[in-house]
Amino acid sequence: MPKEIQIKVGFGDQFRDLTVRIQDDDVKPWQPGDRLNLIGQSTPRVDAVAKVTGTANYSYDQKPKGMIYGKILRSPHGNADIVSIDIDKAKKLPGVRAILTAPEIFEDESARYAGAEVAAVAADTEMQAEAALRAIEVEYDIKPHCVTVEDARKEGAPQVGRGEQVNVARISPRQRRGRRGSNSDMDERLARQEAAVGKVIQDSDVVVEGEFSTQVQTHAPLETHGSVCSWEDGRLICWASSQATFGFRNELTSNWGGVRAKSCQILSEYVGGGFGSKFSAGREGVLGALLAKEAGVPVHLMLDRSGEQLSAGNRPDSLQQMKMGVNKDGVIQGTRIRSWGTPGTGTGGAGAHNDGIYNIGEVDKIEYGVRTNTGGAKAHRAPGWPQGAFALEQMMDMAADEIGMDRVEFRKKNDEHPIRKVEYDIAKDRIKWNRSLTRNGGAEICQGLGIASNLWFSAGGGGASALVRITKDGQVEVRNGAQDIGTGTRTVMGMVVAEELGLEMNQVATRIGNTDDPQGPASGGSTTIGTVTPAARLAAFHAKKELMEIVADRKGWDASELDLKDQEVWRIGEGSTGMTFESACALMDDDAIEVLKGRPRRNYEGFSDTNAGVQAAHVEVNQATGAVKVLKVVAVADAGKILNPLTSESQVRGGVIQGVSFALFERRIMDRQKGRMLNDDFENYKMLGSMDCPEIDVVLLDVYNGKSNTQVMGLGEPPIVATAAAVANAVSDALGVRMYDLPITPKKVLEAIAKRDAAKEVPAQKKGERL
Amino acid sequence: MEQQDHSAMEHQQVFKKLSVNGEPHSVGFSVHHSLLEVLREQMQLTGTKHGCELGECGTCTVLIDGQPVLSCLELAVECEGREITTVEGMMIGNDLHPLQEAFADLGAAQCGYCTPGILMTAKALLEENPAPTRDEVVSALAGNLCRCTGYHKILEGIDWAAAKMRGDEDFRPPREAIYGDPLPGEEPSDA
Repeated sequence: MPKEIQIKVGFGDQFRDLTVRIQDDDVKPWQPGDRLNLIGQSTPRVDAVAKVTGTANYSYDQKPKGMIYGKILRSPHGNADIVSIDIDKAKKLPGVRAILTAPEIFEDESARYAGAEVAAVAADTEMQAEAALRAIEVEYDIKPHCVTVEDARKEGAPQVGRGEQVNVARISPRQRRGRRGSNSDMDERLARQEAAVGKVIQDSDVVVEGEFSTQVQTHAPLETHGSVCSWEDGRLICWASSQATFGFRNELTSNWGGVRAKSCQILSEYVGGGFGSKFSAGREGVLGALLAKEAGVPVHLMLDRSGEQLSAGNRPDSLQQMKMGVNKDGVIQGTRIRSWGTPGTGTGGAGAHNDGIYNIGEVDKIEYGVRTNTGGAKAHRAPGWPQGAFALEQMMDMAADEIGMDRVEFRKKNDEHPIRKVEYDIAKDRIKWNRSLTRNGGAEICQGLGIASNLWFSAGGGGASALVRITKDGQVEVRNGAQDIGTGTRTVMGMVVAEELGLEMNQVATRIGNTDDPQGPASGGSTTIGTVTPAARLAAFHAKKELMEIVADRKGWDASELDLKDQEVWRIGEGSTGMTFESACALMDDDAIEVLKGRPRRNYEGFSDTNAGVQAAHVEVNQATGAVKVLKVVAVADAGKILNPLTSESQVRGGVIQGVSFALFERRIMDRQKGRMLNDDFENYKMLGSMDCPEIDVVLLDVYNGKSNTQVMGLGEPPIVATAAAVANAVSDALGVRMYDLPITPKKVLEAIAKRDAAKEVPAQKKGERL
Repeated sequence: MEQQDHSAMEHQQVFKKLSVNGEPHSVGFSVHHSLLEVLREQMQLTGTKHGCELGECGTCTVLIDGQPVLSCLELAVECEGREITTVEGMMIGNDLHPLQEAFADLGAAQCGYCTPGILMTAKALLEENPAPTRDEVVSALAGNLCRCTGYHKILEGIDWAAAKMRGDEDFRPPREAIYGDPLPGEEPSDA
């Protein structure tokens, strides 16, 4: 039975009372004015000392007794079928203990991109494994390839896939199959929509349009994908570089890939980054487990950097055609969107979120997925959003300029988010929006400002339990089997428990990254913290209640009047009873109190279902060289209640640098002739480094959103959404010419300048037309 | 033929005296192994991380005779007679090195994978230049990639450690704040 309680929700000077129904055993969300000891205080990571002393052991560092090394053979061809694989010579080489072939394991003879797994070897040393890979003889049926969206969309382009698979497929709105409404109904509906929205746009005061493109970005975590696998009496123990320990386990116990472990434990205490690419065990995880099984000894199979860049995931590219009708009062009337993107050899998962955030009127949007012979996309930190925001935010500036309205005021006019409305003004203030700068290409070195917004949905949900144990000698630990990939989940889980029990951080041990512990979520959708911390707080609350009942029973006090604060037992409203936490624990008859609690399945009604953010960028562009330098980014972020400003700020900064890196540097380069990736390394795949790093001014709002007992929302993804869009707007502002294509390299800047200057000489050029 | 050559090399073990973190070690390893492999596999010093094995990411940085070196590109056989320092040798007795302390307190280690390499680079910098400017710190770190933190906390951690090592106890790096709250150390206003 849910119970009704009164809470305050809101932020700043916008608080209101709300009656919410919460799960009957849940604890009331923290309220403004509550005296909190740890929550809201910058708290160093609980595993920081392990990380700075080199004692933090990652998957790559594991070395169970007898361990040997696994390596993967990859196809060098852009598109091929594997005709035969001869492993006889390789098998006889010294040190070789197991060889598997991909067609056999994955029941798939195709190698549809250069980098596709063909075979795997386990040998006593890495060099022996590499020698064995070279000795494997593979006969390929080489087919023509397409490695770019442009090539794959051409009339008569070679087929990327197999069987009936077409290169281009509509992915949104989805085709309906065999259910009510046929495809021809859908086509009719889309035609009606196109006509109706087309009319709305045409009837608007002003029409703006543009075609925008973004590149493929790889995740590039510093620790590559892979695992160390060991079979012990039929049980698979797997130290995995994973951002979803339970998902990884479920794959290795399922039929997929044929590992089918009867029992499996995943251990991921330390993970060297993931950014969305480490949800699945992947082919490398399956091959590692099966090599270890066949070899009969533990196998270390971590990808090398090339394998990581080729096959371990990326953010798909995009081509987005946008057309927007706007009235002179600043209200957007309608938007037409057509977009294409390649998720590799499939069609799903390459959409661009270019219709979110603002109210953009009537929408006519169709998205296509384009197969190419390239490494597959994976969820990448806010999948679809940075590329969509880039196109949408350029359009917002173009529209504002066209009707002569301030770019921020125009956004406010089409945005109802109560938090973002405040954030615009903070961002404007911190970036000095109205300052005078040498804009519009007015000097060799010119500067500009840009603004963009973000939106996310990360209050968390069911699917996590936490175990809190308080021992008779006063030790406390909290366990949850999910991983911490650097986000700070582990630290914040400990903070929540310490806060609830009135303890200091160093009195609570945190155990994570082990699937033998209670169920936890994937580090995905920025929902981890909002999923784990309410479970941890709830378990701590009930453990405290049990302890207080023991104290009350022994002392003849009323348990409902007791609480724990400042490491002592308090009488609520009166102060300390003088009994320490340790002496309270010593009253237990049993060795320990153990409470396992699941997170309430539902989120409660609260202040806002989405978290909001606004970012502003200040850039400098050298018109002689085309070089762009991002001087400053102001990142205003809402993540519900801020539990730990240190880890929150760190997430925002991390998102911003990846966004700047996406805006200016990173891109997968494919060789269209040979069909393979040219920059499968860190030398030619340029990522932002210390010298490219802008000043980042992080502004954290503290929002009592009431969605759960900790009210927190995740912050992994939201901060990357707006950055590239804001940077691109700032570059356009500095140059006085729109940037349509990421990354903004010096070459593209110089080309844009040349086109701008050429256009100035042709006054008849239609306004708003793409240069 | 090529394969036989390789496996022959595998058996070509050498024994060398390596001085690591101030202690001499007699270590046997294959002649072609990099310092990174020998540290991690023969000496169990896994604090030094693998990132790319191509000398591109800085993750495997160690100090050789005080200079930052990419251990994935350094042959272990060439390290005899030189003083090697890894992250495991950074603590001063039972205390964290000021850089380690500052990195831990400020959150300069996020996923932590690049951290040992960055600490090594920073240690070499501060030993040569006790009061580096921000530009000097930034360019010293140009060869160390970090994908998580956004670099700022690393830069501030180095500033803070440098101040502590110079005996400047008053230096305070900027800290996080929640919008609208007074900054730590500031009194709330009466208004």
